[in-house]
Amino acid sequence: MLGFLAWLDDTQLSHFVAETTWVYPTLETMHTVGMALLIGSLGLIDLRVLGFKPELPLLETQRLLPLAWLGFTLNAFSGTLLFISDSVMFYSSYTFRLKIVLIILGGINAALLGRKVFQPGPSGTAPSPPTVGAKWIAGTSLVFWFGAIIAGRLVAYTP
Amino acid sequence: MMDLFVWLEHTPIANAIRTTRWMYPTFETSHYIGLALLVGGIMLIDLRVLGFARTLPLKSMIGLLPFVWVGFLINVLSGSMLFIYGATSFGVNHAFWLKMTFMVLAGLNALAFDLSVRRSKVDWVGADLPPTYVKAFATLSFVLWLCVVTTGRWMAYI
Repeated sequence: MLGFLAWLDDTQLSHFVAETTWVYPTLETMHTVGMALLIGSLGLIDLRVLGFKPELPLLETQRLLPLAWLGFTLNAFSGTLLFISDSVMFYSSYTFRLKIVLIILGGINAALLGRKVFQPGPSGTAPSPPTVGAKWIAGTSLVFWFGAIIAGRLVAYTP
Repeated sequence: MMDLFVWLEHTPIANAIRTTRWMYPTFETSHYIGLALLVGGIMLIDLRVLGFARTLPLKSMIGLLPFVWVGFLINVLSGSMLFIYGATSFGVNHAFWLKMTFMVLAGLNALAFDLSVRRSKVDWVGADLPPTYVKAFATLSFVLWLCVVTTGRWMAYI
């Protein structure tokens, strides 16, 4: 793995991201905006499932999902390039690995929540309020995503 | 001005931020969490005013403003701490002053938006028919906050 990553760090793309003045900060900015979009919209859905802002129709909060996907796409793209700029360092960082694990858990949670909350009920019936299980998923989702922000920031300070 | 920055940088709290290992990363992390609440919340509100996700009531989306305020407070506090840590370098950083300018503009714009919600004679919020000038505020807000984030990131490179 390290051999592959060392090769990756020596590709033209890696040098381009790491050494062109405007590229790295632009990708970082994109990563920050994507984070706000992703966590802003998913976080609101999670809070709604937990019972906050009951006047928002629960089923309709799935209209926010395209925004979450947009944020996710921006961050997968910018994050991959930032990773390639210094992949051996990122790969060796336990905090970075934790961040990736939290993102995967957050993604699994979002998929589970979609199945539990946004599945249409029998036609014509009002959707039932979220179950305790759905609330657990929403609560842990908030923990995973905010955990990912924290871990992401701390990559620079921890082994 | 420089005297003030030098003084700020030598206050006990600034010294503590420099010498205590966990303080700087903690404030930085708080700044990102505040950013997610502040910018995430504002963008949702702006996009809703502009017609995105129409089936979510406009009134309840504007009702997300308390979150935005919590994020704003977190960031003013954490940002002040990060500033005094390196006041003499941030104080002469062009990206920093651009960021502050964009924040003031975004703040004034938010105030104009808020006033147009409170003072409107027609209930455009309830009717979900934001007037064109309100849509202009929302567009401007979206752009200005993007500028705040961008200049904030660029501070480390200027």
